[in-house]
Amino acid sequence: MQYEDPNCWRAGAISTTVVMAIVLVMLTIDSLDAINPGGSHVPPYTVINRHIEYAHNSKLGRDMPVIGSDEPLFGKSVTDTEAAALIEQGKLVIQSRACIDCHTFMGNGAYYAPDLTKAWLDPAWDAWIAITGAESREEAMARFLMAPEQYATWQRKMPDLGISRDEAVATVAYLKWLSSIDTNGFPIHFGRIKVSK
Amino acid sequence: MSPAAFLLTSLSLGVMVLAAGAYALLYGAARLKNSRSLFVLAGLAYGVLALDAAGVVLATPLALAWKLVIAASALAYLRIPPLTWGYLQRTHRDEGAHT
Amino acid sequence: MSRSKNLAVKYLIAAVLFFGVMTLSGLLAATYYINPEFLFGLLHFSIAKILHIDTMIIWLLMGFMGAVYWFLPDEFGREPVGIWAAEILFWVFVAAVLAVAAIFVFVQWGPGTETTLWLFQQGRKYVEAPRWAAIGVALVMLVFAWNVVGTAMQARRITGVMAVMSVNMVPLVLLYLIAFPNISNMAVDLYWWWWLVHLWVEATWEILIGCIMALAMMKLLGTSRQIVEGWLYIEVALVLGTGILGLGHHYFWIGTPDYWLGIGGFFSALEPLPLLGMVVHAIYDAGVHRMKTTNRPAFCWALAEAFGNFLGAGVFGFMITLPQLNLFAHGTQWTVSHGHFAFWGAYACGILSVCYIALQEQRRLATVDSSSWVWAFILLNGGLIGMAGSLLVAGMAQAFFERAIGGSTLEAFIAGQENPWFVISMYSRFGFGLVFAAGYLALAWNLLTLGRREATISIRPVVPAE
Repeated sequence: MQYEDPNCWRAGAISTTVVMAIVLVMLTIDSLDAINPGGSHVPPYTVINRHIEYAHNSKLGRDMPVIGSDEPLFGKSVTDTEAAALIEQGKLVIQSRACIDCHTFMGNGAYYAPDLTKAWLDPAWDAWIAITGAESREEAMARFLMAPEQYATWQRKMPDLGISRDEAVATVAYLKWLSSIDTNGFPIHFGRIKVSK
Repeated sequence: MSPAAFLLTSLSLGVMVLAAGAYALLYGAARLKNSRSLFVLAGLAYGVLALDAAGVVLATPLALAWKLVIAASALAYLRIPPLTWGYLQRTHRDEGAHT
Repeated sequence: MSRSKNLAVKYLIAAVLFFGVMTLSGLLAATYYINPEFLFGLLHFSIAKILHIDTMIIWLLMGFMGAVYWFLPDEFGREPVGIWAAEILFWVFVAAVLAVAAIFVFVQWGPGTETTLWLFQQGRKYVEAPRWAAIGVALVMLVFAWNVVGTAMQARRITGVMAVMSVNMVPLVLLYLIAFPNISNMAVDLYWWWWLVHLWVEATWEILIGCIMALAMMKLLGTSRQIVEGWLYIEVALVLGTGILGLGHHYFWIGTPDYWLGIGGFFSALEPLPLLGMVVHAIYDAGVHRMKTTNRPAFCWALAEAFGNFLGAGVFGFMITLPQLNLFAHGTQWTVSHGHFAFWGAYACGILSVCYIALQEQRRLATVDSSSWVWAFILLNGGLIGMAGSLLVAGMAQAFFERAIGGSTLEAFIAGQENPWFVISMYSRFGFGLVFAAGYLALAWNLLTLGRREATISIRPVVPAE
């Protein structure tokens, strides 16, 4: 029978691989368009000048980020260039400290520390505003990043990674931008459920 | 999807593939030993798979398209062991190694 | 023994040693879950985790290379092209890995600059090694590819297995280039990073281990080349047919369009099908040969490969692969349970099989069978299954309490981590990790002492029918 002939399966292997690879390349071109800043799923970096929420969209049947009115970060509106520089610096901080080896970003990384996809929107920052004596959420986040051991609230503490003020500001900007990405509803119900102990 | 439904659906899918593995193992053993009782056990293992798949199709909140994928997978799992065994027997027959 | 086989033995020894480092760092990482104050201020969870996952990649890569260098001279009937370069680069590779490990432990991190990425830490999962080391790894892999492809091109006749291996070398090496860039946009970064990780461990590595096991089966069982090559082509068709677009199961939540939910979920749901075929094949081989082989541990590890791959990648993967379920399970210990079981089953078992094949020939043993390899087999597999099972329970608790009920906030995360099911699972995981570590010690002892006290007889290797 023909299907006992290895050459038949070799042809099948080659053609399957080629077809799947071509489809992957085509989908990649489309996806890259959607995930570049300003694309359908990823807002431009200047979104850090705006208010960001996460709410259920009944038409789509899932949670979606909602971009609102002006809400400058650290009280200062930034230009396209300044926003891009902050995001670039923020990512360098995240990589240089290997944050992804304790935390997750969009669920990818390590699972010892919380997921940071919507960290900007976490209700817990209200407590840190009080603990750090900050006037705003972003200031509380920056102070925490610069001295995490000082502001620990749980048995599992984040270590001091020598994050400078500039680095902390850039990281907070990065987390704010990250929370505005449309992740197809991950994580589900974020921030809308009160956890009862 | 409710938390309970998610957990039950996930576990059901794991049980389905596990049952497929048990079916394949018992089917192979049955062919090797030409044992009726092992064939019966293999059939029972597949029965567990089929019941589990039916449960997923009838009782979980998955969308219809996914239920069709699960049902088709269940049928594929039924055919894979005999098809594979037949292919192995035919390709090995020239070596004189057959069951 | 040929230069290539001598190099193979060096790579396999290095692989087993780094396997030990992986095990130790895994135990360390597990400790923090039980005692978060452990070494706080000195060595943190992130460093233990980096050591654990990076040495996993390294030992598996070295194992693949050892296996290939072992089989190459027999396949081509000659010493591989450029073996001299490979011999030098082996020592460069080992030295670089040790240097990077030292940097991770003693330097750990640097300021948020490109210099840090070049010298100390790139901070992208599995590819945290600084760029200077990544260049070294890329060079090692380029020479490895040259050894295989260059020899294939010079050979008068190329076998099907070598043809598949040679073609597979191209994406294997090219994909590693994704370890280099620093991409600011996390969505784009993760998009390409998953090309590297998924198209390595769920595509090109599957093909590579398929080729290695094909060669191993010819050696162990005397199976004809036509049969293993036909089977290899089927494997390539099914694994790549499902795995290339199965990449989409990593694109559910990283900001990519939602068509990936359908595409990724569908192809990923098909991925267990070829694995079931491999299980059937393993049963056939075991039964037809009545488990008779001159190298029982090698054969048993090859069987463990088929079953472990099916259970770890197939069963554990299928539980969490549909997008509406992955929404809850994603980024929890459920992922960890699947990862541990899948890597073990798909790759580690196969490499251990090759270790025993190589040792039989190197130490000229007529048969390889003793009680000590059985201990290693039981403890390692039992320990791994126990760890994966514990992590499964922890992951289910996390997915249920943190994600489904809690909404994934910090408060929900803490509630999940403090849930009794989770806490008990972390202790259980650690316990089984100790069992696994005991298995590693038994394995290392067995490999070290194999045949050294027994009478050795020169053996005729099984000559595969052409």
